[in-house]
Amino acid sequence: MVRKFAVGLFSLAMVAAFTPNAGAQSARDYISIVGSSTVYPFATVVAEQFGKTTPFKTPKIESTGSGGGFKLFGAGVGVEHPDITNASRAIKSSEKEMCRKNGVSEIIEVKIGYDGIVLANSKKAPLMQVSRKDIFLALAKNVPDPDNPGQLMANPYKTWKDVNPDLPAVAIEVLGPPPTSGTRDAFAELALEGGAKSFDFIAAMKAKDKKQYKAVCHTVREDGAYVEAGENDNLIVQKLDANPNAFGVFGFSFLDQNADKIQGSAIDGVQPTFDAIADGKYPVSRPLFFYVKKAHVGQIPGMAEYLKEFASEKAWGPDGYLSEKGLIPMPDAEREQYRQAVENLTPMPMN
Amino acid sequence: MDIVRRGLAKRYRAERRFKAMGVLAIGASLLFLAMLFVSIAGNGYTAFQQTHIRLEVSLEPEAFEGISLSAADYAGLVKKSLRRMFPEVSGRGDLRQLYALVSSGAGYRLREMVMARPQLVGQTLPLWVPADDDVDMLIKGHFGGEASGSATRLSDSQRQWIDRLKAEGKIEKRFNRTFFTTGDSREPELAGIRGAVAGSFFTLVVTLALSFPIGVAAAIYLEEFAPRNRWTDLIEVNINNLAAVPSIVFGLLGLAVFLNFFGLPRSAPLVGGLVLTLMTLPTIIIASRAALKSVPPSIREGALGIGASKMQMVLHHVLPLAMPGMLTGTIIGMARALGETAPLLMIGMVAFIVDIPGSLTDPSTVLPVQIYLWADSPERAFVERTSAAIMILLAFLIVMNAAAVYLRKKFEKRW
Amino acid sequence: MTPTTLFFLLCGLSLVAYAIGRRRALATGAASGGLKRLHSRPTYYGLLAALWCAIPALIVFAAWQAFETPLITELVVAELPESIRSLPESRLGLVVNDIRNLVAGNIVAGDIDPAMRQAAARYRSLQATSHAALAVIVLSVGGAGAFWVRQRISVRLRARNQVEAVINWGLIFCATLAIFVTIGIVMSVLYESIRFFQAVPVTEFLFGLKWSPQVAIRADQVGSSGAFGAVPVFAGTALISAIAMLVAVPIGLMSAIYLSEYAGRRFRAVAKPLIEILAGIPTVVYGYFAALTVAPFIRDNGALLGLDVSSESALAAGLVMGVMIIPFVSSLSDDVINAVPQALRDGAYGLGATRSETIRHVVIPAALPGIVGGVLLAVSRAIGETMIVVMAAGLAANLTANPLQAVTTVTVQIVTLLVGDQEFDSPKTLAAFALGLLLFVVTLILNLIALYVVRKYREQYE
Repeated sequence: MVRKFAVGLFSLAMVAAFTPNAGAQSARDYISIVGSSTVYPFATVVAEQFGKTTPFKTPKIESTGSGGGFKLFGAGVGVEHPDITNASRAIKSSEKEMCRKNGVSEIIEVKIGYDGIVLANSKKAPLMQVSRKDIFLALAKNVPDPDNPGQLMANPYKTWKDVNPDLPAVAIEVLGPPPTSGTRDAFAELALEGGAKSFDFIAAMKAKDKKQYKAVCHTVREDGAYVEAGENDNLIVQKLDANPNAFGVFGFSFLDQNADKIQGSAIDGVQPTFDAIADGKYPVSRPLFFYVKKAHVGQIPGMAEYLKEFASEKAWGPDGYLSEKGLIPMPDAEREQYRQAVENLTPMPMN
Repeated sequence: MDIVRRGLAKRYRAERRFKAMGVLAIGASLLFLAMLFVSIAGNGYTAFQQTHIRLEVSLEPEAFEGISLSAADYAGLVKKSLRRMFPEVSGRGDLRQLYALVSSGAGYRLREMVMARPQLVGQTLPLWVPADDDVDMLIKGHFGGEASGSATRLSDSQRQWIDRLKAEGKIEKRFNRTFFTTGDSREPELAGIRGAVAGSFFTLVVTLALSFPIGVAAAIYLEEFAPRNRWTDLIEVNINNLAAVPSIVFGLLGLAVFLNFFGLPRSAPLVGGLVLTLMTLPTIIIASRAALKSVPPSIREGALGIGASKMQMVLHHVLPLAMPGMLTGTIIGMARALGETAPLLMIGMVAFIVDIPGSLTDPSTVLPVQIYLWADSPERAFVERTSAAIMILLAFLIVMNAAAVYLRKKFEKRW
Repeated sequence: MTPTTLFFLLCGLSLVAYAIGRRRALATGAASGGLKRLHSRPTYYGLLAALWCAIPALIVFAAWQAFETPLITELVVAELPESIRSLPESRLGLVVNDIRNLVAGNIVAGDIDPAMRQAAARYRSLQATSHAALAVIVLSVGGAGAFWVRQRISVRLRARNQVEAVINWGLIFCATLAIFVTIGIVMSVLYESIRFFQAVPVTEFLFGLKWSPQVAIRADQVGSSGAFGAVPVFAGTALISAIAMLVAVPIGLMSAIYLSEYAGRRFRAVAKPLIEILAGIPTVVYGYFAALTVAPFIRDNGALLGLDVSSESALAAGLVMGVMIIPFVSSLSDDVINAVPQALRDGAYGLGATRSETIRHVVIPAALPGIVGGVLLAVSRAIGETMIVVMAAGLAANLTANPLQAVTTVTVQIVTLLVGDQEFDSPKTLAAFALGLLLFVVTLILNLIALYVVRKYREQYE
């Protein structure tokens, strides 16, 4: 009995030994960052660099998705709320509204660069030359009916050859992100809508009925040709390697790292290379952002220094370490503009 | 008698068939296990080695003049020594490629050395620094075949330099100590699992310390003391139901209760442990109840018969006999907690954390989350590190299981 | 004295109280004519003293810990210059954070002005005072409790009953915790679900045959067909779970039977823990295995047979999930089978039954309620499993019973909806909560049925 009692006490004591000293409990001496999983691989590089070269602690970066990030970020000002949120899309007006309601009145918007979205397949298969129109015809839910001009029909195309006689007679199978993903959203907007516009009657729809126009352009087919494969892009790369007939849609950095296994299809004649995306020739790329709570700068240790590190040429410049990781740098003028926004802590308009 | 004999051969055949099915079933499970282990180990064993490059770094006193030791340009010194090794390389682009052979961690390593022994300044010392992850992958043969320069991340001239280093014996694979001693990093050659292991440890300490006593206590009450009425029915249904709730929902609960209501810090092992406690409790309770049920009534009657109180009967006689079963349930629960990712997503533990956590409230991540994050990293070298991290996780698991087997063996009884 | 040391001290004190109580009881017993005169065994007097020492002191300790930080903060803030004090609460929180960082000796943001330094010094001194006071109070409360019990110890003191009452209340508290967890889950899911049902009618959600959460992510882009019918999602869950159970139940059950009835001690000692390792392999690993090894294998073999197999087939996910669940079934059934009394087996053998006949006709029926319980636990595990299906099952919600096609599951949808890039208040995100709620309700109904069945057929052997 005594022994059991002692064992019980000892285990209780062990627990207590690990509980923190109450005094320092809620003191935070590191930057807390949340947000998009697309920006995560870039923000973490900067954070690590920052942690190793300054006396400050390495920031904590959570991968929550852009929406979850804004939700946490906009919950209020104070130590318990994150200081920075990463986003693969611009902030929405409803999210601004939420921020304002919770007292987050001054937010600095920083664009960090671009991310190319590629359509890639295995190197074991031939390189594809597609146009955005081909992509639209292959992947949209409703496509123009060639027999009835001006009418739409459910997508009947089974192989790439059906879409465009120049393409191989391979069944259409594209692995891509789900509708909850910003990558999917950007792909729909840039590739599908770009292709849809080449049909005059769809382009004309834009002025008449914007809602329908968007619906036509952005709805992806759901009959199995487009496979929603989750957000893990490495998994898509490996599936492509195992199945040479399939294509995948994902960020440029995964193509860059797996260049020995997969190849990016040329879209409108341009292959997704670093340079082609950087100078805007490659049509499918989207901006990445992070948002900073101004009230926290100067209050949370290291905020100003972290921003400075991110906005330095050695990080996001054309030869910076972020470009090594696959981030496409902004043009010089734009970089300068955002660098100044960071330096002067210029908040963005809140309405 | 003859009827029995006639049937006997058939019955023995059925007997053999039945036994063979049992062997087959076990064989199938073990085969799966072996397949998994082989595929993981096959992918991961290379991560325990890391390619290093030998540099002659001369710590010229000029580099340290007028500035503190920590602020000197160590990366510059590393670059300088690379230039000395390949004096013919010039031009910005070529030099960049040359510098890219060595990990960006080389400068940090040099700094650590000099900070520890300031008297090194002024000397030239030979130093093995980690190579860049692409070089590492090439040396380990992970870039399929001898593809041409444009297809991989290494240019032809970089390959030539590597060949020359190889010929001079200045490049070799060494044991990857970094992997065990550092936290996460975005550079595969600098990434380690110590932070995640520490986080997992703290989380599991909390989970075990709470869920085992509470689970066993709840099981004892429900099985031995509770009156059979609607209230206990409700509890019972609840517990069974909680075992089925998807783990991510527990994450939502943790977010609402522990973070928003009690205001505990995000990303803390304390909160992770609490959430996992709630998640593993039903498993432990159900298993513990099954174990209590299997103690024969005669034990109880015997204890009561010699004058023990009900509490004494349970605590002194039934509980020790049920312990092996309870331990089994707890191990399954702990194993599940150790491998869990989804609920931790909601409470901020899916995060990039470099510093190694030292207490229950430091931000930290856990091993499976680290695996999940690495699995999603673009760099090729993270593939083998992912598998290596899985191997470590499995090693922990096997140790836990071994401990449990030992305990169970000590107590196991058959009625 | 830090709270941690204090805690250790308190533990030590209650050990001392135990010893004192026990000795006192022994002495009292001896004085009044032998130990058997005592109402309870001496240990219980010791335990009673220890409980009275520890419990009140711990309550004081916890309460103090809860109020200490806010109180000290309040006092420190009151002394800050007016300009800082008039800041809104959230900004003030940031300043306090700075002070705390200063106190803890952490790195701080920006320059440290003297007012802050002063505040930090004050904070530190207040903290020291508080800790000292806490130590005195806690230890005296503990000591007083122990002393009080010691004074009361007599042969008539019903120490055992009191200790047992405390233990009983502890047990009840632990058992009711499950209810609180359930309430917590419902509360944390319900609110968002109601908001979802304001956007999407309940009937559409429950009976809709189409799941396609393609609602717009941004405001300028008016989304396309957003359909929130949960039927295909649940059908997919059922399909994959069924496949998993088809794998896990026969293999798990046969393994358990072999291990408990046929296997020798040695084999059992090796095989059982090995099988249990299967339960501990992180599900992420299974997910990879399913997606990269099993799925292509099934796909290629299906193609050989002329079948059209999706690369995200339900079969692949289900098979691998089944493997994961084997130990759940086998471990729990093993325990139950072991619990069947040997007398039943001996009886069957005595009638001339072979081993397999005994197992099939005697042991299994006797163990059935327990086995069903284990299987149900495994089913719930299958339904709630997330990572395997996230990686291997795909996201397209097809309403099909064909295991070669891709289906999606509730958990996959919850995960993708919650970690996506869409804004958090859109029906897309809220749908995750509604799915969670519905899943909760469905499993609740399943469990009610199971409870009824098990209770009706349960027997206890001796």
